[in-house]
Amino acid sequence: MSPAFAIARRELRGGLRGFRVFLACLALGVAAIAAVGTVRVSIEDGLAREGATMLGGDAEMRFTYRYADEAERAWMEDNALAVSEIADFRSMATVQRGDQIERGLTQVKGVDDAYPLTGQVVLEPEMPLADALAGDGGLPGGVMDRVLVDRLGLEIGDTFRLGVQDFHLSAILAREPDAAGDSFSLGPRTLVRTADLANSELLGAGTLFETKYRLLLPEGTDLTAMEDSAQALFRDTGMRWRDSRNAAPGVARFVDRLGSFLVLVGLAGMAVGGVGVSAAVRSYLDGKIAVIAILKTLGAEGRTIFAAYLIQIGVLAGIGIILGLILGAALPLIFAPLLAAQLPLPTAFAIQPGPLAEAALYGALTALLFTLWPLARTEEVRAAALFRDAMGQSRALPRPIFFVITAALLAALVGSAMYFSGAPTLALWASIGVLGALILLVLVAMGARRLARRMARMRVMRGRTSLRLALGAVGGPGNEASSVVLSLGLGLAVLAAVGQIDWNLRNSISTELPDIAPSYFVVDIQPDQMEGYMARLEGDPGVEKVDSAPMLRGVITRINGDPAIEVAGDHWVLRGDRGITYSATPTAETRVTAGEWWPADYTGDPVMSFAAEEAEELGLNLGDEVTVNILGRDITATITSFREVDFSTAGIGFVLSMNPAALQGAPHTFISTIYAEEEAEAAILRDLASSYPNITAVRVKDAIDRVTEVLGGIAAAITYGAAATLITGVVVLIGAAAAGERARVFEAAVLKTVGAARGKILAYFALRSAMLGAVAGLVAIVAGGLAGWAVMRFVMEADYVFEPVSAIMIVAGGALATLLAGLGFAWRPLATRPARVLRARE
Amino acid sequence: MTDPILSLTDATLTLSGNAGPVEILHGITLAVAKGESLALVGPSGSGKSSLLMLMGGLERATGGQIHAMGHDLTTMNEDALARFRRNNMGVVFQSFHLIPTMTALENVATPLELAGHADAFDRAEEELRTVGLGDRIDHYPAQMSGGEQQRVALARAAAPRPAILLADEPTGNLDGANGQAIMELLFGLQQRHGATLVMVTHAPDLAQQCDRVVRLMDGRIAEEPARKAAE
Repeated sequence: MSPAFAIARRELRGGLRGFRVFLACLALGVAAIAAVGTVRVSIEDGLAREGATMLGGDAEMRFTYRYADEAERAWMEDNALAVSEIADFRSMATVQRGDQIERGLTQVKGVDDAYPLTGQVVLEPEMPLADALAGDGGLPGGVMDRVLVDRLGLEIGDTFRLGVQDFHLSAILAREPDAAGDSFSLGPRTLVRTADLANSELLGAGTLFETKYRLLLPEGTDLTAMEDSAQALFRDTGMRWRDSRNAAPGVARFVDRLGSFLVLVGLAGMAVGGVGVSAAVRSYLDGKIAVIAILKTLGAEGRTIFAAYLIQIGVLAGIGIILGLILGAALPLIFAPLLAAQLPLPTAFAIQPGPLAEAALYGALTALLFTLWPLARTEEVRAAALFRDAMGQSRALPRPIFFVITAALLAALVGSAMYFSGAPTLALWASIGVLGALILLVLVAMGARRLARRMARMRVMRGRTSLRLALGAVGGPGNEASSVVLSLGLGLAVLAAVGQIDWNLRNSISTELPDIAPSYFVVDIQPDQMEGYMARLEGDPGVEKVDSAPMLRGVITRINGDPAIEVAGDHWVLRGDRGITYSATPTAETRVTAGEWWPADYTGDPVMSFAAEEAEELGLNLGDEVTVNILGRDITATITSFREVDFSTAGIGFVLSMNPAALQGAPHTFISTIYAEEEAEAAILRDLASSYPNITAVRVKDAIDRVTEVLGGIAAAITYGAAATLITGVVVLIGAAAAGERARVFEAAVLKTVGAARGKILAYFALRSAMLGAVAGLVAIVAGGLAGWAVMRFVMEADYVFEPVSAIMIVAGGALATLLAGLGFAWRPLATRPARVLRARE
Repeated sequence: MTDPILSLTDATLTLSGNAGPVEILHGITLAVAKGESLALVGPSGSGKSSLLMLMGGLERATGGQIHAMGHDLTTMNEDALARFRRNNMGVVFQSFHLIPTMTALENVATPLELAGHADAFDRAEEELRTVGLGDRIDHYPAQMSGGEQQRVALARAAAPRPAILLADEPTGNLDGANGQAIMELLFGLQQRHGATLVMVTHAPDLAQQCDRVVRLMDGRIAEEPARKAAE
């Protein structure tokens, strides 16, 4: 056995005393990342396993505005064992009670007898879906989500109306097997038979509706080959394909992104843990100076000693990582039933080796990164340390080789985060943010120490003994200030950033947006209804402004003749169907940024104006040809101008606008926004809904509430992640307080000897702790504010406003946390008799 | 003997250890006169430092009575003892016991501040000049030699002009020259301010400089030679 191993083995016989904080920090960091990863992969596995059920079939072909044509239908019948047709659209469900009409926005799903091909619809009271939709008393049946039933004040057996068709409410829709596969909707679900909508006047020409054809395929069908075949035949007709391999791409993408983001928050927690790990190793090695000096006296070389302690720390890090992995794998399994009940998604909780390996890698790299410099100090210990404080004259910085190794480890850690997160830019910026925050905290800790030292010497402090002692201690020698400010500061900074971003997002959506957003967003207005519609609104003094535009929906299929996705990648503009408008002249708000708008009387080949920002992202240039499939027909238009489109005001905004002659012939409807005073809103809705039962009016405030609700959920998940970081910070804090206890015991004994009463000593300890906590809190606010500003400004492209309430809470929380940790370890110093302490050090 | 400034009557000290209670001091009865200098001598473990701690109220007697300047130390609580010390006592230790996070000036000023002296820092600076450290007032303990640290400790003990100075082997950690310098300072301070000095020491020559020497053996007073004044 090499001497280093032998020394390490003998030293480790001393047990794990003094390493509780080391182990806790590492285990917590690894556990948080492992748990987030396990939950993420478990959801992804669940999505994959339940793909067919979530999709409502093995594969789905989707069309906008139309049903499948004969050729498409024939292809489906040839290839599938069974086909189910679904019509999906937004509408208003109404209930008449005397003169009063209750209205509620709903997402209607019209189904056929084959629905659902997979999974089961669960109704309350329990009954087969076919019976529920069969209806009663001559009316067709329908089932509704409980939220909508409650909102409309309905009871089972009541009548509700869609368009001009009455339905009998047979049951509450408790579970829809394919709900997770559907996209985000603003209204709760109503399920009826498509055939029963025939007389509703809701599915007229140009109405915004989608059809989905679910296919049940023979076992062993090659889904890739099947998709290729369908795409080759029907891609240019606007058909979009999904299958059970990726049943809910939106959900999967969301889970993936949120998971990645939480892992990055977890890495910030790991950095906080790293500070604790570093402090623990430093403190351990300080206690080993005599041992190291003896070993040097006996002839051990610096590298042998370095290796001996590296092995010890490696073994301990291994134990910490294993503890973290056990915790991180067990927690999701223990809370699986609770999580499964909370998530509207299928889950398959199990031990997931991938996320565990990722967490272990981060743990190992962090442990090495944060212990390297303290370990390097072992080389500086000289045999003379046995006789005097030889460490006092050692170099402040380690040898250059340690800088190189540190840089390599840091690169490996950031590189791993960039690779595994799947969001390299975000990971890089997050890493820069954490590193920046750490540097800021180190600088501030140094500054705070200097300031405290100066303040302690100010004349005004004389006579204020407790305060002067506290300032003197903060500014004096030792690592306490840096350790506390770093550990707590980083945790609080993450929390502050989340607080600032969350508040700003909510503020811009729920406070600022309603001031500039319209009251109603109205869709499905038929061209022949526009005159009456405008007449109703223009005569109303409560209406400030009405904007309207013709709208069609289409899919961008090709750019300059090549498939669009191949040219521009997976951009949101290409992902689904987009609203398209036409206009002879630019509207008053239009600002053309490049090129020229077509002449008002232009009737030549189709031309289009493209939203400038999106065009740049897609790499489009003036003169490029873009093919859009509208109602199964390809229209290829040349881009003649780019224009600014502001989607942030919830007003009307189209990525694509074309010359009227290109689209006027196609069946279409109008979209409109109504800006009205709040008091006038109810009457407008009542009149429009009565006159035009086919139109759908979305109250923007309700939509904002729904979006805010979703944002709230995301913020909550991230806050939990930040809380894990903070818990690690508190562990480091407690570790620092515990490590400082001996010093406090000594100080208290000396102070008692020179005449300090316990109250005075306690006040000194409390002030000292609270000061450090407050400094950490203040830095956290600056760092959190900077992160909040950067995210709002560069990611959200919105204004940033500093939010003071959470900021004050964070400073107060920081001061309180350190105060409690400090006071928790103050009792022994206060209770111990001076003689024992002082004589023990003789 | 005039009224003693310090008196112990049948004082005992028993500490609990892992192997059960350990009797450190047995029925010590001793009186120290105002302005007197007394050396406590004896082999290691004889209880001299423990006796000094009892005199300073730094350790609580488990039996008997201890009076200092007319106050019964055995009936006072921790805070009352602390207040008594800051007004009446200065203590010097073998290992100096300076607070490492404070500069020399701050270490010396602290007891003066605690006693409510508005000019604590001016007096502390003056005291440091007296012990020859006028140019080291902003240095931390770790930046000073052992001899310098003990001089700071001496200045700290003497600054409030205590009536009683207690010194526990003040030269034990110092070389001969430094030890001699410290003793000169200690006796100089005692005589200048008329304080009573009780000192624990192993050095016979130091003990001989005191007015009286008390020898301890196994926690008991073994012999008490006659006072110099009576010689």
